[in-house]
Amino acid sequence: MRKILAFAILAGASLLILGGYAFQELLAPVLGMVMDWGLVLLGAAFLIGIGYLLRMHISNLFKAEKSVGMSGIFLVAFFFTLIAGLILPTENAFYSNLVLNIQLPVEASLLAVLAVTLFYASLRLVRTQGWTPLSVGFLVSALFSLVLESGILPIVPNSPIGQVVSLLSRLPLAGARGILLGMALGGLLVGLRVLLSFERPYDEE
Amino acid sequence: MTWTLVGWVFIGCAAVLLLISIFIRFENRYPIRQMPAIAHLRKAQSASMETGRGRWVLLGDRFIPQAYPGLGLHALSVLPMFLSMESGVDGGLTLGSADGSLAVFARQVVQNNYRDGFSPVLHQAGAQIALYGPTPLSFTAGLLPELSPLTSGSLALFGHYGPESLLWVDAVQRRHGAIFASGGSLAAQAVLFLSVRDVLIGEATFAYPQAPAPDNRAARQLLTEDVLRLALILGLLIGVGLKLGGVL
Repeated sequence: MRKILAFAILAGASLLILGGYAFQELLAPVLGMVMDWGLVLLGAAFLIGIGYLLRMHISNLFKAEKSVGMSGIFLVAFFFTLIAGLILPTENAFYSNLVLNIQLPVEASLLAVLAVTLFYASLRLVRTQGWTPLSVGFLVSALFSLVLESGILPIVPNSPIGQVVSLLSRLPLAGARGILLGMALGGLLVGLRVLLSFERPYDEE
Repeated sequence: MTWTLVGWVFIGCAAVLLLISIFIRFENRYPIRQMPAIAHLRKAQSASMETGRGRWVLLGDRFIPQAYPGLGLHALSVLPMFLSMESGVDGGLTLGSADGSLAVFARQVVQNNYRDGFSPVLHQAGAQIALYGPTPLSFTAGLLPELSPLTSGSLALFGHYGPESLLWVDAVQRRHGAIFASGGSLAAQAVLFLSVRDVLIGEATFAYPQAPAPDNRAARQLLTEDVLRLALILGLLIGVGLKLGGVL
């Protein structure tokens, strides 16, 4: 019974939302209501997620694990930001400066580490993937794009060479679109499989 | 005819094809794709269980990514397969996410497995649900200390994530852990292609729950995907031809 009920709710809500795109005027009020419910549920789920985060760090404190220091810093920062956010409006200069002056440098430093790691990983490409057509194509394309984007080649845009270079520089875009089309196709089928109950992640099959 | 209508026709064809394929009995006549990456992942999972090392399955940073819809749902749909492998092991699996709704749904999937299979190890301590941070970079900052030297066995990436995933991968690789990546943004796929051997990109991203189990259901879903892919390629080629001919 529980399985049938779950499937009925899923199918009903999904068909309603899909139908809402086709018959917008007719289903707009109901669709709006269902979307609002969805947003409230997602908001509640986000709060529960924050609860998971807090529980993990509080549990680290009590277990006295090696990351106890980091968990302590996290909890102090979390509650300080929460209380400050509740008392002060988000437009408050002190609050926004306080948050941004900590958050931005930390994020920038992580991105800097990422840039170095990326450079190192690109040097290991052939070792990771071997000499396959895909890895060679990736390498050639990346090098070619780097040289072109650096602007060191004096290429006249409307000359025959310029047009060939322009064509070649559009190839990565075509590749990206191909991958996105494939992912869209896969995403469509995942959605349909859940909608038609071929796939039931919410239930044991 | 508008592009919206074309999209609807495509969705309708996909649904009809999936429904028609229910009535086809394949009996191993339809070839299932061989994906070494998936075989490696399963081997790495088993090895990690046997040696008592940690297994991480990351579900991504968004349940409904705008540009890549379906990735969050796909991440949840692979979970039962991981959980069934874990049924005889006493803990060690962590399901990580940067999105509260993903964490909540993952918990529901785990609890359903526990309820239906009466496997207490899948409950609470068995499969832990963790939200290391609510944004991609805070998630990275929270996850990296957890991938400690003694416990890095395997890391499987599903769902939506960005190029910051390279930092997670690098942390596990330096400890000789096994990595499997499927999904992520376009930038993440490019970045992971550089450093991960077992990576699925493009439409192969969605292959995981079907490919290792060569049954009728897997065959019918792959058949639908192949027919749609062929239709898409033909449509693109016809479009190019019409554009070159000056019709479009």
